[in-house]
Amino acid sequence: MYSPNEHPPTDPLAENNLQPFFVLHKASKSTAISPGRPTKRRLDSSPKVSLNNENKNENVKMEAFQCVWSKIESKIKDVLRSINADVFDEIGQWVRESFNEICSCRGPVDPSKSSLPYPFVHNGGLVKKLFTGLVFTKNIETVDDILTFAELGLNLKSRGCYVANISSLDFSTKNGIGGCLRAFLRQLLMVDIEAADVSLLASWYSDHDKYEKPVVVIIEDMERCSGALLSDFINMLSEWSVKIPIILIAGVATSADAPRNVLTARALQYLSTSIFSLKCPAERLDAIIEAVLVKNCAGFSVGHKVATFLRNYFLRQDGTVTSFVRALKMAIIQQLSIEPLSFVLKLLVDEGDSKRSWYEDLANLPEELIKHSFELPSYRKYSVNRNNHVELTAMSLGHGLSEMQRLQELWRSRLMCLYEAGRYHKVALLDLYLEALDPELCNSRLSNHGCDSAKDRSLLSNNDKLFKLQKAEVTNQVIRKIRDLPAAKLSQLLKSWERLTKGTMEVHEKIMELQSQMVSEDVKSHKAELTDISKRHINRRYLNVEKDACTSNDKAVTLAGQMIRDTMQPIECIPFHELICFKDVDHLQSALAGDPRRRIQIDLLNFYKILKCGCCSNSGGTLSPSMHDTSIMYTLAQEHGDLINLHDWFQSFKASISSSGKKGLKKLASPKKRKENTSSQNNSDALLQARFCRAVMELQISGLLRMPSKRRPDCVQRVAFGV
Amino acid sequence: MDVDEIEEEEFGFSRNYFLAKELGSSSRKKSARKLSEIDLVDEEELREVAASIEPKHEKEVNELISSYKSSYSKWLFVLRSGFALLMYGFGSKKALIEDFASKSLTEYSVVVVNGYLQSINLKQVVITLAELLWDQVKLRQKTTSGSLCKSQQPFNTRSISDLLTFLDSPDLEVEECFVCILVHNIDGPGLRDSDSQQCLASIAACAHVRMVASIDHVNAPLLWDKKMVHTQFDWYWCHVPTFAPYKVESMFFPFILAHGGSAQSVKTASIVLQSLTPNAQNVFKVLAEHQLAHPDEEGMPINNLYSTCRERFLVSSQVTLNSHLTEFKDHELIKTKRNSDGQDCLCIPLTNEALQKLIAEIV
Repeated sequence: MYSPNEHPPTDPLAENNLQPFFVLHKASKSTAISPGRPTKRRLDSSPKVSLNNENKNENVKMEAFQCVWSKIESKIKDVLRSINADVFDEIGQWVRESFNEICSCRGPVDPSKSSLPYPFVHNGGLVKKLFTGLVFTKNIETVDDILTFAELGLNLKSRGCYVANISSLDFSTKNGIGGCLRAFLRQLLMVDIEAADVSLLASWYSDHDKYEKPVVVIIEDMERCSGALLSDFINMLSEWSVKIPIILIAGVATSADAPRNVLTARALQYLSTSIFSLKCPAERLDAIIEAVLVKNCAGFSVGHKVATFLRNYFLRQDGTVTSFVRALKMAIIQQLSIEPLSFVLKLLVDEGDSKRSWYEDLANLPEELIKHSFELPSYRKYSVNRNNHVELTAMSLGHGLSEMQRLQELWRSRLMCLYEAGRYHKVALLDLYLEALDPELCNSRLSNHGCDSAKDRSLLSNNDKLFKLQKAEVTNQVIRKIRDLPAAKLSQLLKSWERLTKGTMEVHEKIMELQSQMVSEDVKSHKAELTDISKRHINRRYLNVEKDACTSNDKAVTLAGQMIRDTMQPIECIPFHELICFKDVDHLQSALAGDPRRRIQIDLLNFYKILKCGCCSNSGGTLSPSMHDTSIMYTLAQEHGDLINLHDWFQSFKASISSSGKKGLKKLASPKKRKENTSSQNNSDALLQARFCRAVMELQISGLLRMPSKRRPDCVQRVAFGV
Repeated sequence: MDVDEIEEEEFGFSRNYFLAKELGSSSRKKSARKLSEIDLVDEEELREVAASIEPKHEKEVNELISSYKSSYSKWLFVLRSGFALLMYGFGSKKALIEDFASKSLTEYSVVVVNGYLQSINLKQVVITLAELLWDQVKLRQKTTSGSLCKSQQPFNTRSISDLLTFLDSPDLEVEECFVCILVHNIDGPGLRDSDSQQCLASIAACAHVRMVASIDHVNAPLLWDKKMVHTQFDWYWCHVPTFAPYKVESMFFPFILAHGGSAQSVKTASIVLQSLTPNAQNVFKVLAEHQLAHPDEEGMPINNLYSTCRERFLVSSQVTLNSHLTEFKDHELIKTKRNSDGQDCLCIPLTNEALQKLIAEIV
């Protein structure tokens, strides 16, 4: 047991250990450079990037990270902003209208009475009405909406409103009404006021503004606020609602019943509500995936397993877009720390920005890094398959990278083509994306194609055969459904395909061909309608037209199948993909959400695997005295039920410590102690008891035990069951 | 105890469920042996021996801990990227984290919070962080020949939200300027309440603060909601079992084999007292002196204690005294008895010799 008294006071650490907090060290002056500053320095200006130059390496990594992440982050912000744009417009207009209505029934302002509530009004109808906008977040997790409401605040500010964002934390009963008022006033008046009062706001408003701007109060999550407090707040605001044109906006996660459940009847009657809805999280996620991963704004991408994990984590566990974005950021960090060459990501971003080639940057790389890149498994596989022997230079690495980009570009446009087709049936991009990433699916697709063409060419057109694989369900479904598209939609689809496949002549031409075919059919049917009088004829003609339409649908289906087969190569099948594609799903998972409950128990039960000691690993399930005391104790505890009798536990601990001879004890005790041990039995008892106590303490710190209650003083309780 | 019983009942439901799920639960050991059947040694001796327990696998533990050194650069990278590090796994991580800080975080000021202690004033921590950041900004601006014209209120008079705004201010011109806060046992007893966690979360969310924290309790994540985890703490989890003994962390834990914990030892008491404010210590001293001077009495009546403490300017009101007394009671430093006159009296459950020793220690 450690206690300060046993250490001389000269030990500064011991003293620090008893301080609630202390300064470990101050920032050192000598190294006070700003290391991660996003300077304009390019890689080629620092040619000595070598593996052993730790510091420089770190800075290159940091630069690459900042470059990539800032790009992705701003993209995500843009996406979320544009997804909310419509609702924000709607809300902005409603605020304006509400403000006009308040103004229209307000009496002449008497500056001397501005700090009193209840002014004179022309028509009494509107007195004490508080315009309230309920924003349905369609999302029980408020995390994602924090940003949305902050954006809404900024948006309204830019439309000329005074805005205060109040979080549900301010509406806690502990702080009382003063707490939320303070938060409210702090944002508008920009000062911290101890005795918050609305009259302050009123006088501020009348000084500042002659009824030109409304005051908007945004409450992120109405249902988390204390109901009584929120009701009081609303009562208060409504008293002043004519003097200060206050408009309330509240986020609601559940249903339109929420205000009724939260507020008192009195507060409810003051509200004049309007309803707005935000997009649901799945839609937001789709938009982010499209912008960041599919359209690949920063060159970074993830492997199939990682993408699957992210999807499952979103759908089954967390359900927030925020955590998805967090995971993406972690993936970039891990990619940069695992793969030394992954800073080429920065080059990709730079190239995207300035259309500048990276060959010279690569040419300046040290040889070992270039060599490393040709030893990547993806390149090896590629070169073995092709049996080609390219010179291993920076030039060929550059070519490899450009080729990878080209293939990615193709993959992207094909995926978007599929997505366009899937749109008519509301297929989520996420599902298509996952299937498109799967390297196995791609491989089996290719091999399937081989045997099919060998057997019977006519089968080729039959796409059900082509994609008979069960796994590619969504993709197959989308393709199959193209056949059922009506002509108008099909031509719409073809138009979008035409746009998406620009740049690949072959496919582009085929699409054009299909389009012209459809146009001629259209003309034909039109003519048929005009010229043919005979009903029989018309019928026959119609039949023909329908048949034609079928064939053009079929052709589109074939084309889609062909596009996927020929040009959709998942990133994991492309050489050098390790540089920009993150695949280590276990790593990501453990960093994203630790599992202390399981891991700490496993630490204790399998401690020899972590310590890698020779003595305990071959004991094979039996307890050896050389094991860590707490491990022995916890293993013993597994034999007990929910209650562990201390006496029994101690005895079995004692037995397992001393069972296999005195070997363990000898090993443990110092020579001096050993002498004492043999001389006095009492001392060894004390040692045993002390070790027992310490192990119990450590289990208690880990939260695996509950101490004896007054009712059962001889038992401790196990808390965690099952690893 | 009523509360105990209710709690136990609630606990019982989940316990039964998990027990039913565990294999072979029918063959559980059940026994009614008493702890007193063991020949227990004296607590003093126990503590002494405990301090000198030879660590097992010292070599392997040291190797394990130094194997984490290779991760330092990665951790620094993670911190610089804006995440906070959360260390977990069995064993004390105090030495590891402080070693990481003194080796890899030399460019940044580092504040260490010992969460395993009973009471921690987070406002003081925030003030210190703000001062350190201010120093760092001044230092940087001097080197970049920028002029510093901000005249400002001293930090210790500002409100906590003001300080947080400063720590979060986007207008500090220096790029990547942050101070680090290491929190040992962020799930510790002094920080376990939701207010402290909210405060820590808002500290961690500041743009110019990076946090490294450790947890030991298996249920620690229950302290945080999703908002805190995803947007404020922004944890990057690191599994770093060390198997190092919890020496400092277990300072305040009672010995389970020490006679029911009824006899408070001098050492535990002095450690508790040292973590309290000087005023609280003096209040305790008043009480102890009275008890030593009147060994035959039941204890010191609360009124007498109040008036003595007021005379010595130790407390200004009954409320402050009561808050000290509550603290003492929580740590079982004092007990309340009723004397023959029906007055509530306070006494310290220690022998006179022990009390003398204690007073000598806290001077």
